[in-house]
Amino acid sequence: MPTSAPSVCVVIAAFNEASVIAGVVAGVVQAGWRVVVVDDGSADGTGALARAAGAMVVVHPINLGQGAALQTGFDWAMAQDADIVVTFDADGQHRVADIARLVDALQASGADYALGSRFLGDTIALPAARRLLLAAATAFTRITTGLAVTDTHNGLRAMTRRGVSRLRLRQNRMAHASEILHQIAKSGLAWIETPITIEYSAYSLAKGQRMGDAFTILVDLFAHRMHR
Amino acid sequence: MIAQLFLTVLLSLVVLYAWSAHRKAPVVGFLAVAAALAGLYLVWLPGHATWLAHAAGIGRGSDLVVYTWVVISLLMLLNLHLKLRAQMEEITRLARSIALAEAARTLTAPGEPRSAAQPRP
Repeated sequence: MPTSAPSVCVVIAAFNEASVIAGVVAGVVQAGWRVVVVDDGSADGTGALARAAGAMVVVHPINLGQGAALQTGFDWAMAQDADIVVTFDADGQHRVADIARLVDALQASGADYALGSRFLGDTIALPAARRLLLAAATAFTRITTGLAVTDTHNGLRAMTRRGVSRLRLRQNRMAHASEILHQIAKSGLAWIETPITIEYSAYSLAKGQRMGDAFTILVDLFAHRMHR
Repeated sequence: MIAQLFLTVLLSLVVLYAWSAHRKAPVVGFLAVAAALAGLYLVWLPGHATWLAHAAGIGRGSDLVVYTWVVISLLMLLNLHLKLRAQMEEITRLARSIALAEAARTLTAPGEPRSAAQPRP
């Protein structure tokens, strides 16, 4: 960790987010953060809108999935010598002010990962069914990774360069969130949780995970372990 | 005898296929080899099939052979799924390389900024 102000890169993975991406990117850019949007093969002009809003855009030639898009963002940020990489959702449910909280927490603690936790912080308009699903997912993650996290599948996190270098996402789809925690546990590097706020909207709920996705994630995690 | 020879050829091919998959998917490969060898054993010793079927609570030896074949089919299906995943990983790496190379080319074009990261505000 450098003694001077670290360079920070906010990575946003986006797939067909034309209706919200410009506002999300503009908010992050106006707060002074540099943003790279990984356009995951969108067909609705998401990439162009993000670029116009001030983001650097890396475009996947085909849709690969959020996990793949995040790994591309990590590779890009590392190649641009970022000291800290922040992952931020494209659907507008995260608050820009929480980026600074995560970066500050990372620097103050000396940890390599600062994971956002909506359950240490706050949730707005979180449906009961989603809360139940998240509680089950968190319990599953605690058992399988040994990490005593209070939240899982939370897309807002900050990582040091060393922390990012220990991640190599192979889960292209939603199982990447579990995979990140598995790899954090395996790395042995220090991690902390930081309270953040997630504000759900009809849009973010429609784009988010459903009950059926939990089964898909389990299948993906199982299949990953079956194959070298 | 014709059916036995036919099944022997078929199951031998399964053993070869499963063994070739063994390196990439050891669990599936091992299980498929075991199931195919069990199938060969039951094809050539149908009396044992009947005895084993009774021991396992299955009515007839031929049913046991059918069940074995179903298990082999499912394992081959699983292996196919895993192969598709492996191919998807290759495609992902390729697509990612193309995306990063294209972005780097855009970034180094005249008039573009040189860094995607900047000091925190």
